[in-house]
Amino acid sequence: MNVRKALERVLLQVQKPARYTGGELGSIVKDPAKVDVRFAFCFPDLYEVGMSHLGMKILYSLMNEREDIWCERVFAPGDDLERLMREHRIPLFGLESLDAVTDFDFIGFTLQYELSFTAILNMLDLAGLPVRSKDRTGLSPLVVAGGPCACNPEPISAFIDLFILGEGEEVNLELIDLYKIAKREGWDKQTFLRRAARIGGIYVPSLYDVSYREDGTIEAVTPREGAPARVLKRIVRDFDGVYYPKDFVVPFTETVHDRAMVEVLRGCIRGCRFCQAGFLYRPLREKRHATLDRQAHDLCDHTGYDEVSLTSLSTSDYSELEPLLNDMLSWTERDAVNIALPSLRVDNFSRELVERIAAVRKSSLTFAPEAGTQRLRDVINKNVSEEEVLRTCRTAFEGGYSNVKLYFMMGLPTETDEDVAGIIRLAQKVVDMFYRLPDRPKGRGVSVTVSVACFVPKPFTPFEFEPQDTREELRRKQRILLDTVKSKKITVKYHDSPTSFLEAVLARGDRRLCPVVEYAWRLGSKLDGWNDFFSMERWEDAAEVCGVDFSFYANRRRSYGEVMPWDHLDYGVTKAYLIREHERALAAQVTPHCRINCSGCGANKLVGGACFGK
Amino acid sequence: MGNELFKMTVRVFYRKLGRIKYISHLDMVRCISRALKRSGLPVWHTLGFHPHVYLTFALPLALGYESTCESMDFRLTGELPMEEVVERLNAVLPEGVRCYRAAPAGQKPEAIAWADYEITQEFDGMTAEAAAEKFAAWRNRETVPVVKKGKKGERVIDAKPHFSVREERAAGDTLVFTMRAAAGNTLNLNPTLLLDAFAAEEGVRADWMRVVRTAVLDQDGNPFE
Repeated sequence: MNVRKALERVLLQVQKPARYTGGELGSIVKDPAKVDVRFAFCFPDLYEVGMSHLGMKILYSLMNEREDIWCERVFAPGDDLERLMREHRIPLFGLESLDAVTDFDFIGFTLQYELSFTAILNMLDLAGLPVRSKDRTGLSPLVVAGGPCACNPEPISAFIDLFILGEGEEVNLELIDLYKIAKREGWDKQTFLRRAARIGGIYVPSLYDVSYREDGTIEAVTPREGAPARVLKRIVRDFDGVYYPKDFVVPFTETVHDRAMVEVLRGCIRGCRFCQAGFLYRPLREKRHATLDRQAHDLCDHTGYDEVSLTSLSTSDYSELEPLLNDMLSWTERDAVNIALPSLRVDNFSRELVERIAAVRKSSLTFAPEAGTQRLRDVINKNVSEEEVLRTCRTAFEGGYSNVKLYFMMGLPTETDEDVAGIIRLAQKVVDMFYRLPDRPKGRGVSVTVSVACFVPKPFTPFEFEPQDTREELRRKQRILLDTVKSKKITVKYHDSPTSFLEAVLARGDRRLCPVVEYAWRLGSKLDGWNDFFSMERWEDAAEVCGVDFSFYANRRRSYGEVMPWDHLDYGVTKAYLIREHERALAAQVTPHCRINCSGCGANKLVGGACFGK
Repeated sequence: MGNELFKMTVRVFYRKLGRIKYISHLDMVRCISRALKRSGLPVWHTLGFHPHVYLTFALPLALGYESTCESMDFRLTGELPMEEVVERLNAVLPEGVRCYRAAPAGQKPEAIAWADYEITQEFDGMTAEAAAEKFAAWRNRETVPVVKKGKKGERVIDAKPHFSVREERAAGDTLVFTMRAAAGNTLNLNPTLLLDAFAAEEGVRADWMRVVRTAVLDQDGNPFE
């Protein structure tokens, strides 16, 4: 089928057709006859979300650097185009070639959040492929997936042929090289999967048997056919020297993050106990400031972006931030380029830093105290005091800002009603402080936005043993939150609890959820992260039909001895460490960050020694 | 940045062909602004708190249309050969946009009165000849009333004096013709508006269509310079 022509007949009937036609500056078009491997990099969400994702940009450029590989981008179509695609039998296609992805060698999904799982099934179906791995019998297309949710991929293990654990820069190419041999020597799919399972970081779920106890918990996960008992995630040891693109695909339409980005560090030293990323991406590795300055400058020159962001889990922990800003300001001011510094932690946001960013351009300020009382902040190891929050907001107000946004979570372990009310009390203190300031910004009132998410316990965190609050309990706490607000200067926004509940189910789910995911998709679930598409009833129907109790996954406390569905996957941090941290959390004991004291998480084995110094 | 003085306003003519036709006018403006930045050309920026590239388009192109005769204006703070402007832009433009001429801006955009469009239509359910016959009967009536949406709401205008059709060729399921339609500030008549009105009244709608703007003309029928 000529996808290009078929698309032309329908594209003017859909919103934002530019999402589906490719051809952007920086997109790579090759001659299909001159490449050995075609890779469809699928982001299971809409174009404007996927195009904001840094990991996709890195791996896209990395693969396309090789002459024998052509990597293309694929996103989930909007509802309007999907209907037309199904009506006119237009298959899912790559944005670069507009060819159907069915004939590609690899279909690779990035797993950024649990609620995108049904979008994966929907995209496979749009491609004209059976969603179940066992029903796709040929060697190609191989359906692979990586990204943070690969740390517990069991709820989608029936659909994906293999998972890539950890960082993809090296292992993706190793996998493709093995595939080239397989193609040349005519291996069948099973042979390829068995061989791929020997590559470090590759997890082939079909090579593991899972048995269950009578109480529904897992008895054992047993590898077969030579697969390793534990799969260790991959990391890049030489992070300063790792490949980084000089060019990005520059979208025509507006996307969520439409700017140049450099990645200053990977990992995080903080150890906030609720934060999965803080454990998954360990150990901490930084790039040198000269490297980053060059990469940022190259990107701005090649893309024409007028904003560059310094991204990481905690950019203010970057040890060379001052020299980096000095380097960059020498050209960014001249070229009218704005430097964006996301995710700055409250506790080291200095006045000088505020002024230096403000010198380029003002944007709004956001801080994340995460919990309303000191006791609860100690439980979650968010080492930020009330004085620090107030001091930071004061610095921001004195620097000319009058809007601040504070992020919190509700339903954290050990949380009391007092802790919930404390969220609003803290926001009120910020308001009161503003009006006591002699040199506050004139002519404008203060606005404090309190954004409250529901806590979701995640694998590989010290809270992986914890139950999530029930939906009733979360609704009750939301009422306490709203009842405590006494000022018009405070706006409360909270995240809907049904999606957080489903996220909790899927995050710690096991293989018995595969039929539920498939059934929910067949009932119409796709793009569950978007409110217009989400329906809890569909998921509840699916659970009932499949005989699954969601509260078993979301609201149950696990014992330290329980076999977790992800215990055979190794992300560096040990279970013994997670248990230690969980016990400290219950005792409201904080753990100092990695630069002060090594808490022995285990991730340093991945770099073969101490993370710092020595 | 924000240089006080500029040397000249340059008008660059370019083609917009292929899949880039799905890029809206607003997205094109952003795309070209970034291209100008990448080109390193000495482009004049507006003054003020958020300086940006000064960039205007004489006659914005509708979403889905291709063109061989687009133009855009920007200002240069230094002098350089016009060929160099074309070359440096072409080096940094995305697939489908190609500059072919640059010159100091001549006529004002207000001078634009007409535009030519080459229109190709494919019909699944009828022959092109039958479609052409119906289209001719429809447009050759005494008056051709169409509903035009403007800033002041909808109004009905007689389109008859404002468009003409020539070089009509029908072969199999494919109908090709050139339409000259009023363009510019006073009255801008989009061919799709006419074809939609025709389709609504006569039930003849193309299943696939390609529109290429081939000329932008002044009152006397001379190319806009």
